[in-house]
Amino acid sequence: MTLQIELNGVNKFYGAFHALKDINLAIEEGTFVALVGPSGCGKSTLLRSLAGLEKISTGEMKIAGALMNGVPPRKRDVAMVFQSYALYPHMTVEENLTYSLRIRGVKKAEARKAAEEVAATTGLSHLMKRYPRELSGGQRQRVAMSRAIIRHPKAFLFDEPLSNLDAALRVHMRKEIRALHDRLKATSVYVTHDQIEAMTMADYVVVMRDGIIEQQGRPLDLYDRPANKFVAGFIGSPAMNFIPAIVGEDGAHIVLDFGKTQAKLAIGSRLSPGMSLTAGIRPEHIKIVAEGRGAFDVSVGIVESTGSATFITSATQPELTIVETGRGGARSGEIIGLAIDLAQLHLFDTTTGRRIEPENGRVGIEPPRHLHVAGHAS
Amino acid sequence: MKRILSSVTDGKGFDIGLVVLPLGFLFVMSGLPLVYNVVMSFQEVDMFSLGSFARPFVGFRNYVDLFSQHETRPILFNTALFVVASIAGQFAIGFGLALFFWTNFPGASWLRGLFLVSWVMPGLVVGAIWNWILSGDFGVLNFLLRETGVIDGNIFWRSDPNYSLWAVIIANIWLGTSFNMILLSVGLSGIPKDLYEAAELDGANALQRFWTITLPMMRSTIGAIIALGLIFTLQQFDLFAAITSGGPNNTSNVTQYWAWDLSFRQYDFAKGATISVIMIVFVMFASVVYVRSTRHEVRG
Repeated sequence: MTLQIELNGVNKFYGAFHALKDINLAIEEGTFVALVGPSGCGKSTLLRSLAGLEKISTGEMKIAGALMNGVPPRKRDVAMVFQSYALYPHMTVEENLTYSLRIRGVKKAEARKAAEEVAATTGLSHLMKRYPRELSGGQRQRVAMSRAIIRHPKAFLFDEPLSNLDAALRVHMRKEIRALHDRLKATSVYVTHDQIEAMTMADYVVVMRDGIIEQQGRPLDLYDRPANKFVAGFIGSPAMNFIPAIVGEDGAHIVLDFGKTQAKLAIGSRLSPGMSLTAGIRPEHIKIVAEGRGAFDVSVGIVESTGSATFITSATQPELTIVETGRGGARSGEIIGLAIDLAQLHLFDTTTGRRIEPENGRVGIEPPRHLHVAGHAS
Repeated sequence: MKRILSSVTDGKGFDIGLVVLPLGFLFVMSGLPLVYNVVMSFQEVDMFSLGSFARPFVGFRNYVDLFSQHETRPILFNTALFVVASIAGQFAIGFGLALFFWTNFPGASWLRGLFLVSWVMPGLVVGAIWNWILSGDFGVLNFLLRETGVIDGNIFWRSDPNYSLWAVIIANIWLGTSFNMILLSVGLSGIPKDLYEAAELDGANALQRFWTITLPMMRSTIGAIIALGLIFTLQQFDLFAAITSGGPNNTSNVTQYWAWDLSFRQYDFAKGATISVIMIVFVMFASVVYVRSTRHEVRG
């Protein structure tokens, strides 16, 4: 596999504002990459820099091995699907699709044939003579995609292409875009603020915040081993529970701080005693057991059921969210025990937010699958 | 009475009131004079019959007489030239300026505001200033043209039959350019930026983007501006009064000035009205174009 997109030490300044901070990224040919992060994290700026619509201040940007720093957008041979679709309102669907070909001097008949081929695969054949204003949101989205496909570009750039669609259509288009990628095998960079889109569609996810890459890797690696507290909280829904904690005197257990009450939890590894950290556990990795049978007990605050799953929020400070598949038996006010899967427990440095790997890892000391010391927190 | 009053406060009567008021105003202040003017063009009108409405009906005699006059054709031709040259000049320079300010360099909006000064000034004042600029013996324009080597001797812009109409056209272009620029600027700023980005990524260079995005997206604005320009240039009277008074020997005379001259200087009211009716036809045509182009908005 060859590298299709390479970014080395890319920085972008808007006046004094540092929008992209030392970005390093290497994307292999044919990979579907998602850039994800909260708004203002620089993901769109990075995408627009790839397109050439923004000029990077320092660093190196290569597409298909060629240095792109001073190359104008029209010579980069990348196609972009805009959030607003940016369809040409004064042109029919067919004219929208053939625009790039016609600009390149392709003959009208030839361009039309190419447009018909693409339209057949994206289901637009019957809409070729319509204007964008006569199309629904989903159809416009398809035109925007087709306009990119027809060019066979070196890379596809997607700028939150689904954010203007309603929820049901969004889920549908998600699959369609992924299927399209599997068929075309073209390198794609997909910007989204929706971590579910990133997780479900991408081969490789880049999480950004405040202009830096917080973590990059395969979707499930990010889910299983988030590099820091931000990524841990950003990836996964409902979000990971965070509880402030202090390492106990023996270094082998932590004390979870629920304000008024505390709970002891063995971690099955060694950390320096007295160290303060943040424990993270995903809602789906907590099991409800009988009172006194889990790691600690909590009293139930709110119970919300969606039918397929039940979300239970504890009446503690900070709150814990627990997801039970099906219709869990917990009722508001009830005291329940919580069993925590220690292999799924994440520890983060309180000040830096970085992931803490216990000195000798989780191997060596046999990690007890279930919980030991029962505290009582309510 | 109470029922009428309550229908006003209910809203339905209020709606009708809102429509009736401007319609009534339009009818009294524009409709009636227009009709009166048309009627007058079919009558024999002189100083003594001016006060009465029942005047001898003469059919199309005024029209026939008008077109048999030897100055009619040159004046109609002057009008056409004046309109076409003025609109072309105003539009070309206005569009150029609008595109220039659209690049949004520091101070662009401030400078653009200054350009409006020409539009704010009364036509008579503009005419007086251009009289100085165009003056044959001490005018700045002649000085510039002479110094740059374009001409050898002075051009007497206002009194030379070959240049008199152009003297007014130049002043009128100066007067109308800023209005064109402002309307075109508004049109330009209404084009979404991402269209240009999409076109750029699709491989279009600056010239191609102008032809395939800017011009088609500006179609309705351009239509409206040309139509308004036609109306405004056909209304232009002050500059003729201030610069050439239609002379020498009608070489810079146009229908709108001639109509006034016939009616209020020669007291041939019927002919003045006849010319006005001919102009109304053109203005009506421009109005239809204007209304259609502002109604037909292209937005995705």
